Parts: sequence; C-alpha cells; structure tokens
Amino acid sequence: MTSNDNHKNNLRQIFWIWLAITVFGVVVGIYGTPWLMPTAASDTMHLSILTMVVFTVAAAPVAALVYAVVIVALTKWRYRGEGIPPDGPPIRGNNPATSAWLVVSTLLTVFLLVWGLALLAVDNGAESKSEMTIDVTGQQWVWSFGYAGTQVHSHDLFLPVDTDVKFEVTSKDVVHGFWIVQMGIKVNANPGAITTTAVTPNRVGTFDIRCTEICGLNHAFMVTRVHVLTKKNFEQWLASQPATN
Amino acid sequence: MNSTLEQHHVVGGGLLRRLNFGTAAVSGLIFGFIAWALSHHFLDDSGQGFADQVTVLTGCGWVVGFLLGIGALTGPGKWFTGRDQNHADEMYLAGKDLGRKRYFQYTTDHKVVGVQYIIATMVLLGAGGILAMGIRTNLLTPGNHFVNQQVYNGFLGVHGMLMILGLIVAVAGPWANFILPIQVGARDMAFPRLNALSLWTLIAAIPLLLGSLAIGAMDMGWVTQGPISDQSGIGFDLFAMSIITFTISTTVAGVNTICTVLTMRTKGMTMERLPIFAWASIFAAGLGLYAFPFFLVVMSLNLADRMVGTSFFIASGGGTGWLQENLFWLMGHPEVYVILLPAVGAILEIASVFSRKPLFSYRTVIGGMAGLCGLSALVWAHHMFTTGWAPTLGGPFMLTTELISIPTGVIFLVLLGTIWRGNIWMKMPMIWVFGFIVNFIVGGITGIYLSDIPVDNQMHGTMFVVAHFHYVFVGSVLFGAIGALFYWFPKVSGRFIDEKMGRISFWLVFIGTHVTFISMFVSGLRGMSRRYSSYALIFEHTNFITTIGAYMIMAGMLVLLGAVITSWRSGEPSGPNPWGGKSLEWMVPTPVPLENFEVLPVITSDPYTYGEAKS
Ligand code: HEM
Ligand SMILES: [Cu+2]
Ligand SMILES: [Cu+2]
Repeated sequence: MTSNDNHKNNLRQIFWIWLAITVFGVVVGIYGTPWLMPTAASDTMHLSILTMVVFTVAAAPVAALVYAVVIVALTKWRYRGEGIPPDGPPIRGNNPATSAWLVVSTLLTVFLLVWGLALLAVDNGAESKSEMTIDVTGQQWVWSFGYAGTQVHSHDLFLPVDTDVKFEVTSKDVVHGFWIVQMGIKVNANPGAITTTAVTPNRVGTFDIRCTEICGLNHAFMVTRVHVLTKKNFEQWLASQPATN
Repeated sequence: MNSTLEQHHVVGGGLLRRLNFGTAAVSGLIFGFIAWALSHHFLDDSGQGFADQVTVLTGCGWVVGFLLGIGALTGPGKWFTGRDQNHADEMYLAGKDLGRKRYFQYTTDHKVVGVQYIIATMVLLGAGGILAMGIRTNLLTPGNHFVNQQVYNGFLGVHGMLMILGLIVAVAGPWANFILPIQVGARDMAFPRLNALSLWTLIAAIPLLLGSLAIGAMDMGWVTQGPISDQSGIGFDLFAMSIITFTISTTVAGVNTICTVLTMRTKGMTMERLPIFAWASIFAAGLGLYAFPFFLVVMSLNLADRMVGTSFFIASGGGTGWLQENLFWLMGHPEVYVILLPAVGAILEIASVFSRKPLFSYRTVIGGMAGLCGLSALVWAHHMFTTGWAPTLGGPFMLTTELISIPTGVIFLVLLGTIWRGNIWMKMPMIWVFGFIVNFIVGGITGIYLSDIPVDNQMHGTMFVVAHFHYVFVGSVLFGAIGALFYWFPKVSGRFIDEKMGRISFWLVFIGTHVTFISMFVSGLRGMSRRYSSYALIFEHTNFITTIGAYMIMAGMLVLLGAVITSWRSGEPSGPNPWGGKSLEWMVPTPVPLENFEVLPVITSDPYTYGEAKS
C-alpha cells in the first residue's frame, strides 16, 4: 500500500469515527441534557434548557473531529518500533486547512452570538411587562418576601401561575444569590442596592430557591421553597395572611 | 593588593555565606514577633480594626524578616554603601561549587531557581490537594460533618488560592527559569538576582496563606467578595498579605522572563526562530503584568476597609461590592490565561518532538496566543452576569467572551496539525499531551455554555461552573504541567521519571478527572449550588461519585510524587538528549554547566526542522 492510499484510508477512518461521535453527541445533547436538568417551571428555564441542547448539538461535531484525530493518531500513526522514531512529513502549515478552520469556527461563534442575543432580548422584555412585584430580602441565612401593595411577608415564596412577576432583590448584610432553580432566573442580593429579575411561572407546584453566593457559615442552608398556586388559590392565600412588617 | 584578591576568592559571598532558608525562617519569625509586639504596644487597642492592623503588620514583619534573613537585601545594601559585589561574590551567589547547599540559599543560577520552583509548586499543589480532600470528604454524604462549617469555608478559600498560586507557577516557575534561558541561548536570566528575589518572595508568601487557615474564620472563598471579606476573621488579613506578597514575586518574575527573551537571545535567534514555549512564556508574563496589579489593589482596598475603616466595598459607608468584583475579575480572567499559556507552550513543544514533525503553522499559533491575551482583558464581566451590576453590558461581554473560542480553536488546530500523520512516540510526556487535548475540549466547550447569558442565569454559582474550570485547571493545565515535568526532568536530573509508575499515575489522574468532574457537572445541572458544606438528598449519588474520583486523582498524584522522588535519586540515566529534541536545551550537556554554554551557539533555523533534509 502506498503512503497515499494509507492517507486516504486514514481520512476515511477519521470521517467514520467523527460521524459516530457526532451522532452520539447529538443524541446525548437532545435527550441527555433535558433529562439531567430540572423540569422547567417557566419559559425562561425552558429556553435555558433549549440553549444547552442546541449548544451541545453544535459542539458535538467540533469535539468529535478532535477526538477522531486523536483516536487515529493513537491507533494508526503511533510508532511501534524501538527508540526515537524517524522523522514524519515536514508539514509546516496548510493554508486551506487553516482558513477553513478559522471560517468554520467564526461561523459557529456568530451563530452562538446571534442565538444568545436573541434570547437575551426575550428575557429583557419580561421585566417591563410585570403584573406583580415581589420584594426579596436576603439576610444571613434566610430569605424573606414582601408582596408589593400589601403588608404581607413570608419566608416561603408564593406565586400565582401564569403571571408576570418582577423581583426587586436586596440584602441586609452580605451578598447572597437569589436563584429559583426550576425557573432559570438568578440575581445577586447586594446590600445597599436593588437588583431586578423577572419570570412568568407556568406550572403549579413547589420548587426550590437556593443561595448561590457564599455568605458565611450557613450558606448551604439558605434554601427555601416557592409554591406556585393557581391564581384563585393565590388570592385566597394572600387574603388569609396577617399583615406584618 | 594581590593577596586581598586571593582572599576574596576564598571568602566570596560575605554575609551570604551564613544565610539560608533556616536563618530566613527564624528571622521572619523574630521580625514578625517584633512587629506584633510593637503594634500591640503603640496602636490604639480600642480602635476599630485593631486586630486587623496587628495581623497585617505582623505579616509585613514576617515578609521583611524573611527576605532579610535569606540575604535578599545584602546586594542592594552593599550597593547603597558604595561597595559592589566582586566576582567571587557573584560566583558564590550563583552557587558555584556549593553542592546541595545552594538549593537552600539565595542562589542566582537560573537552574537552581528552576529546581526551587519545582519544590515550591509541589508544596503549593500538595497543600491545596490536602484541603481538596478535606472538602470532598466533607461532601461524601449529604449531612457529613468531617469538619465544621467554619473550617469548611476556610478550606474552600485557601484551597482555591493555593491552587491558583500553584498553577500560576507550575510551568512558568520551573521551566521559564530552568529551560527558557538555555532555549534562547543565554548564560542566565537577564536579572539573576531578581530571579532569586522572585523565588524567595514566593516562598515568603506561602506560610502566610497556610497561616491564614490556622488563625481562621474565613468565609469569603477565593474570590474575596467585598462584604463577606469584611466580615471574615483575622485569617483574611494574612490571606490578603500573602497575595500582596505574591503579586510582587510574580511581577518581578514576569519582567525578568520578558527581558530575558527580548534581550538575551544568542546570535541568529530571531523572534521568528524562538521555540514556541518562549513565546508562550512572554505572552503569559506580559498578561500577568497587566493583571496582577489589580490583584494587589483589590486586596489592599479590602485590607484598608478592615484596618482603617475606609468603605471602598462597604455599602453602609457609600462603597459597593461591585467595585470589588470588577477589580477582582479584571485580574481574575486574564489570570486564567496567565495560567494556561505556559502549559500550552510546553504542550506544543512536546507535540512536535514526539510526533517528529515541525510545529504546524507557527505564526498562526502566535497570532492565536496574542488574540487570547488581548481578548482576555475584555471579558471580565462574564463572571458578573448575575450580579446585577450592569445588565445592559451583558450583550457586549457575551460577545467578547464567545470570540475567545476562535483563538482557543487555533490552539487545537495547531495541536492536531502537529500530530497529523506524525510518527507518534507514546512516551510519558506525549501521553499527558493526549490527556490535555481530550480534557481541554470539555473545558472549552462548557465555557461557551456559560458565556451565554440565559444559560449562565441558570448555571452561575453552581457546581457546573466549578466543573468547567476544573476541567481546564486540572484536566488541562495540570496535565500540561505534568507533561512538561516528564519532558524536562531528564535535563534537570539526568534521569527519566519512572515510566511504569508514570503510567499508573496517568491512568489514575485521567480517569479520576472524568469521574470527579463529569459527576460534578451533573450535580450542577440538577441544581446544586457551589460552596455548599452539605446538600439535599437528590445530590447524594453524584457527590459520592465525585468524592471517589477526587480520591483517585489524589492517589495518582501520590504515585507521581513517589515516582519523582525515587527517580531523582536512582532513575534510569537519560543522557543529554533522550527525546531527540532540537531546541538548545537538548544541545547542552547534562548536568548543565554553570554558564550553560562554553561557546554561545549561532542559530540558523527554528528548532522544528523534523523531516527537512540537512540540519
Ligand atoms: C473558550 C474558553 C472559555 C470560556 C468561553 C469561558 C467562559 C467562562 C465563563 C462565562 C465563566 C463564568 C461562569 C460563572 O461564574 O457564572 C467562567 C468561569 C471560570 N472559568 Fe472559564 N471559560 C473559558 C476558558 C477558561 C480557561 C482556559 C480557564 C483557566 C485556565 C477558565 C477558568 C475559569 C474559572 C477559574 C472560572 C470561575 C471562577 C470562579 O467563579 O470561581 N476558563 N468561564
Ligand atoms: Cu449564601
Ligand atoms: Cu473568565
């Protein structure tokens, strides 16, 4: 077999290995990612999961190409003799290959950017149309929630389903991270400042709130729950609460 | 007249003859104690910040005493009083004929400094590794209390910082000192005394960091967020002092590296013929010169808030934690490339030698590294997407961050192009190169997820981020550093690192890395925050697996340590050029003579002429 045939063979092998790994990556991306992530309780979270899927699918052929070359290098190009191997072909560069690589990686990057900016625009839109505002206060190591326009306060968060909710977040001491796990929103609670985020819960149920910035001894226990109720149940719950400060 | 000269020959070194690591430690302790006693006596002990003032001054005392005790200031002192070092002094300083003693002294020979950096790196990574085992043991099961929460938080911060410092010096310390001057055809670094200064300043910083853990009560993690740092106990003061000391060390080292490459090259060694490791080293050093001043500033402001009641970062006094976060990440992001680039440089050298092929597209990779450096100064706020600090800047920072994947891709192109159709020689250094390639893909791709803001809104502050950067730090930088160790160890010791133990350690670390960090990705995806000392039951299995993986990595590292120690003493002799390399370090004898070259070589091509007729 001439070295040219050999080379063609190698290219063919790389192609098949690349294809196999790409397919594997795409399948893992499409089925594995959503399976590993919490079930979405808002469109925001749904879009985050979708992005994870799309990026994994886009990344699969890239990683697959690298792994395919690695596998062929380890199996076919490996030197099995004794001592220092003889010199290989003096390839000092390959302009078409380099250009193609740059063009493809630029295109991929542009795609990621456009995707990201588009989603960002959707997210930012959510804040302006809020129907309800919650004051969130972090404090070592509890969360408290105030319901704007009422005197009601609680340590578990209660939300009506399908309502555009805006959060105004602050802290009484150090920085905390306010995160509703199944809704894909997060913003830090800073002392002396109010930060905002917004979401529209779309599923009735109980979900998790966890602190994401280290805030001292009991950071790990600065967790609470959010109960998403039907609108009617929420009104009832709110009416039944005593006014507190 | 003549006889005095003779005498100088015998007693060169003067005061330095009596100074070594031991006197440095003692003098550091004494000065630290004096500073402690004086500050207790003279400072107002009812004032706010008294304890912090005392701690910081004690730390300063330690550093000054240590540097005095090692002899760092004898040279400048002599110069100041109008007497300069004579030739015999210089030879003594360079460690001539001192045998093993020179490794414990203020020695200027770059090869001695390189070996001292190997030891310093091992100490940093070893101590950080022990803390990592503590952290993972605590997380073995959901409610485990291997250590209490206070100690756990201290472990987190000091683990992170030890590892960051350890990785900053892991490749640049040993090899930009031992190998780089030889690679460019120089007899030493541009500033040999500054070289010793940078090493011993680093050594002075390490006990401060370990001491901070001992006096404890730190809750701030390695990123030292403003308000929580202000709340932390006096351990934080030593922590910050350690970093301030370190920034001095690394600035001195960086200037030295850059000057060496720019001014000390031998005849014919144009910039276009430089080994790629030299390029990577000056890029990293230059980026460090930009980044580390922010580190110094952020720690100093933090200390000022604690000691003298300023409020740079304290909201109630009109400051803001966002300032701290900006300053920190202005340092923090470039710093990750300061860590990465030397490892990439070493990996590329190894890939070429062990594929027996020229480096693929030399200029493209230089362009890629330049791109990485430039962009890495413009992306810092991707660490702040969810802080609420400037929501409108999200888009621009997403843009710059995602652009980084283009020069990162270039590194892969060059690596793959270099091994393409080569005669791959699977000796130990090359095995770690393949590990690097496999792992760095995972680290790079998960970075791209995080740069997408809607995803980051979910992933920030979770174990997903922790797994991302450990794939880069452990999976890529550490693999590169170990590859470099296997590659250049024969030049240092004249011996190979034991191949069998090397392979065992590779498989333990390689498999351990995936077990640890894939399961950690899953914890993050499922919603586990980072820096938790205990966790909900749904994270039980993945955390258990992570801990097992972490033990595997530790086992692998211990095997590696054993291999290095035994091989240093009694490994298989290697001769001067065991790998058939073509860069200058392989052209000099082993052990390398004091001034490296008898006659400075003249260079006619780059060191990548594999397969090109003649030589
Ligand atoms: C394509 C390349 C990369 C991209 C796009 C990228 C992106 C990111 C992003 C967006 C974050 C912030 C995540 C968050 O905290 O929410 C992050 C965190 C981090 N990355 Fe990367 N990264 C890349 C490569 C690297 C490399 C090469 C290193 C190290 C050498 C690194 C080390 C880190 C570290 C240490 C953190 C987290 C620090 C902390 O919060 O404690 N990354 N990365
Ligand atoms: Cu917290
Ligand atoms: Cu970054």
